[in-house]
Amino acid sequence: MSEPKDQQQQPRAVEGRQARLLEAQKTVNGILLGKDQQVRLSFCCLLSRGHLLIEDVPGVGKTTLANAVARVIGIDYQRIQFTSDLLPADILGVSIYKRNREEFEFHPGPIFSQIILVDEINRATPKTQSALLEGMAENQVTIENTTHPLPQPFFVVATQNPLDLVGTFPLPESQLDRFLLSIALGYPDPIAERELLTTEERSRMLDKTTPLLTSDDIKALQNDCEAVHVSDDLLDYVQALLKETRDDRWFETGLSPRAGLYLLRASRAHAFLEDRSYVIPEDVKIIFPGLARHRLTPSSGFAQSPDEQIAELLEQVPIR
Amino acid sequence: MATNQKATFWMIATLSVAMAPQLFRMPVPVVIMALLPLLWRIAAEIRGWKTLPALIRHGLTAIALLTLYFSHEQIGGRRAAVSLLTVMLTLKLIESYRIRDARLIVSFSLFLCATQFMFTQDILMPLYGAVTVILALVTLTHLHRNEAYIAFDKTPAISASLFSELGFSLRLLMLAIPIGLSFFLFFPRWATPLWGIPEATLDSKSGLSDSMSPGSIQNLFMDDSPAFRVKFQGIIPRSSELYWRGPVLWNFDGKTWHGNLFSVDLEPEPRPDESKAVWKYTVQLEPNERHWLFSLDYPATTPFNSRITSDFQILRRQPVTQLLQYSIASDPTFVDSPKLADNLKMAALDLPRGSNPKTRKLIERWKREGLDGPALVDRVLVYFNQEPFHYSLESPLLGSNSVDEFLFDTLTGYCEHYASAFTVMMRMADIPSRIVTGYQGGWYSGMGDYLLVRQSDAHAWSEVWFRDRGWIRVDPTAAVSPLRIARGSLGALSAPRHLFDYSWLRGLRNGVDIVQQRWNDWVIKFNAESQMRIFSSIGLEQMTPPMLVISLFVVIGLFSLLLLPFIFRVKGPSRKDPLRAVWLKFLKRLKAAGFEAIPSTGPSELAQAAARHLPQDSQAIYQVADLYSRSRYSATPPPLRELKEAIRKFHPRKKHRLR
Repeated sequence: MSEPKDQQQQPRAVEGRQARLLEAQKTVNGILLGKDQQVRLSFCCLLSRGHLLIEDVPGVGKTTLANAVARVIGIDYQRIQFTSDLLPADILGVSIYKRNREEFEFHPGPIFSQIILVDEINRATPKTQSALLEGMAENQVTIENTTHPLPQPFFVVATQNPLDLVGTFPLPESQLDRFLLSIALGYPDPIAERELLTTEERSRMLDKTTPLLTSDDIKALQNDCEAVHVSDDLLDYVQALLKETRDDRWFETGLSPRAGLYLLRASRAHAFLEDRSYVIPEDVKIIFPGLARHRLTPSSGFAQSPDEQIAELLEQVPIR
Repeated sequence: MATNQKATFWMIATLSVAMAPQLFRMPVPVVIMALLPLLWRIAAEIRGWKTLPALIRHGLTAIALLTLYFSHEQIGGRRAAVSLLTVMLTLKLIESYRIRDARLIVSFSLFLCATQFMFTQDILMPLYGAVTVILALVTLTHLHRNEAYIAFDKTPAISASLFSELGFSLRLLMLAIPIGLSFFLFFPRWATPLWGIPEATLDSKSGLSDSMSPGSIQNLFMDDSPAFRVKFQGIIPRSSELYWRGPVLWNFDGKTWHGNLFSVDLEPEPRPDESKAVWKYTVQLEPNERHWLFSLDYPATTPFNSRITSDFQILRRQPVTQLLQYSIASDPTFVDSPKLADNLKMAALDLPRGSNPKTRKLIERWKREGLDGPALVDRVLVYFNQEPFHYSLESPLLGSNSVDEFLFDTLTGYCEHYASAFTVMMRMADIPSRIVTGYQGGWYSGMGDYLLVRQSDAHAWSEVWFRDRGWIRVDPTAAVSPLRIARGSLGALSAPRHLFDYSWLRGLRNGVDIVQQRWNDWVIKFNAESQMRIFSSIGLEQMTPPMLVISLFVVIGLFSLLLLPFIFRVKGPSRKDPLRAVWLKFLKRLKAAGFEAIPSTGPSELAQAAARHLPQDSQAIYQVADLYSRSRYSATPPPLRELKEAIRKFHPRKKHRLR
């Protein structure tokens, strides 16, 4: 007879978690001024068990965003600065022979954290990149025939400087696909910038930030998101979008079915963040650019950037 | 804006179909010049060749113009003009890579298609024209869609199949039918064509001419096309009486017969009495670009715009360039010229000096036997009948003493030879005589109730003159081959020599002609008079051209009004999707209030934009959008009636601008 009770309690629990989640989002917005949209997308990414790629020039707050998210959700946080001489072992960890115990002991690397900020991911060699990316895909790492599961939730935020290409190893498309969303922060608007210049330093604000969520909360919220309803009409729309990207008049290659799954997952998270129990096309439209921009290369002959192309594509697909 | 390959082939196909019938009317070098660029373009498209350098293209154009000039010997006139248009269009093909060019070519192909009607009014041409127009419309549709894709760098996900384009074109054509009909009925028509075709530019292709030399009629025997059609009122003459009089030839130079200038300038004196004319009939003459109107002997009335010469040729002032209908009455009992002027008598006896000595000897022998006048005529006819003369279309070419050769060597020929020989023999016997060319007989269509005379019914016969009895028709061919008169030219031949000689095909051909006759009656012949008749039958007696034009626009306007609801329909509400139907109603109301929805916006996005536009109605807008959004996307949609109710109550006020 405990079941009805459970059902009654659950909504309240959900409400509590959700309220704290929204509070957390608000806090991050307070630190990273004028970037509500990007912050929301970061949370969508976290809630849909994806990983986030931030592409922008230095100094616009990439690290601050990652830091702030890590702080408010109160989970284990590590930052790895990728350099060209970084080795896979520097991320994954090493087994060291313990003479006294006459065995190898595994020393886990920084990847064994719940949230990882990878700075300048394109600076490391492909070998090191793939070590990280494998972990992102499988949620586990295999070192010397031993498989080590990664902590849950596991959320990677990687940054990449799109302009500085000297001595970098750009991620191949297959690896870019591991990132659910890619966002650009851009310069703050004048009001936000004035506030940024006059109020207290961001790093001090970060220090003062207290966690609002636990890792259990995150896991529960991730499960809550999956319960968001998706109607047939919405699936029609998602499929129309995917089909349109596959038309070679827009992009060289279209979105994969996996990307479609990601799109749906992140759209659910977005609807959840909006406190809605069903996904509407507007959710999809907000998620879509972030999901598509690092996966699609415009067909040759277009002078437009991928972002402009994607915006136009969205205008072409009618919503019933 | 380049065309894609599919569009290119559509364009080429349209042009090819439009120009195909014209090719048969062009001189061979011009045909080659027209086909060369077309074939090059097809090959270039298949093989992926590059554009020709400008120098070669200009060179080709120059060559084409020179070819045109030398083949037509003039730049001007319908044929040359159509050739010019055709060649220029195919030349344009080799440099047409843009949609604009393709559209130009297709439009001009339509124009080219319309030029057909300057040459033929055959029933099949409108059908062929319709095919061309549909093809051109499909191409234009295709080009238009193509352009829509390219011009805005965006591609709506429409996979347009051939059938959808064809369907669309047919729909457009259907819409055009009432407008076309209105123009047909209402457009002011003049008794004469709006623009005259300069006479010098006419290039007669078929029919009889004002001269006759061996072989000139023979060519006509192979031409199965209709010459004219006749409807009789009352008495229908017997087949042996059906001598359709055309050019009358007087002058003989030993080989060729020509018309006489005196006789053409004179008026007939006396003239047949109209009250005695028993044969009354209406002739529908196919355009032949000549002046002669054909009649049975002897025309008592003069058709409009024409005159009758002293040898009873009817000459029209302008050549017949379009289907011409005239009514005429003939008096078969009339006596033509009981007295003959001296100069005409001289002309009717004139022969080249010293020619055909054998024939002369034969005539002199008969004269010595005491034969003269009518008796000699009979003797010559008997001679034709009893000597082994042979009626054949395949006769050997004759030299300078053509009559001698014919009478004593070959003995093979057809009406021309017999008429020519007979007339020469008569002149040798000092009997004035002349040759009349025209048509003999015809095919009587019981179903169509008219007589069809074909070019192959062309015939030549003689007339001899006796004091007080006037000119008398003598047909020496009838003496040799009575079947020629009884059954028609081809019936006289032993074996079929033409595809249409087979009787069943001939029957088919005659059946098609009945349709053509109806087409002529109802469509081609429709002129100012028939137009007035139609309007007076519904009580509109005096329709002036301006009134006609006004009525035309009124009718087209009314027709457009009928179409209005279809034009302003937002998009057909689907019966399968009642939700959408209700939502479209909402969008329509918004549109009426001045807010137009973009199809790619979701309901709540749309509500935000609409609320900004119509702030005083924002609450209602949000409510409807929310209901719709929930109905469509949520797990527990509200009942449809709620949405319906909300939309029913929704009456946005139009936004008032401050001035």
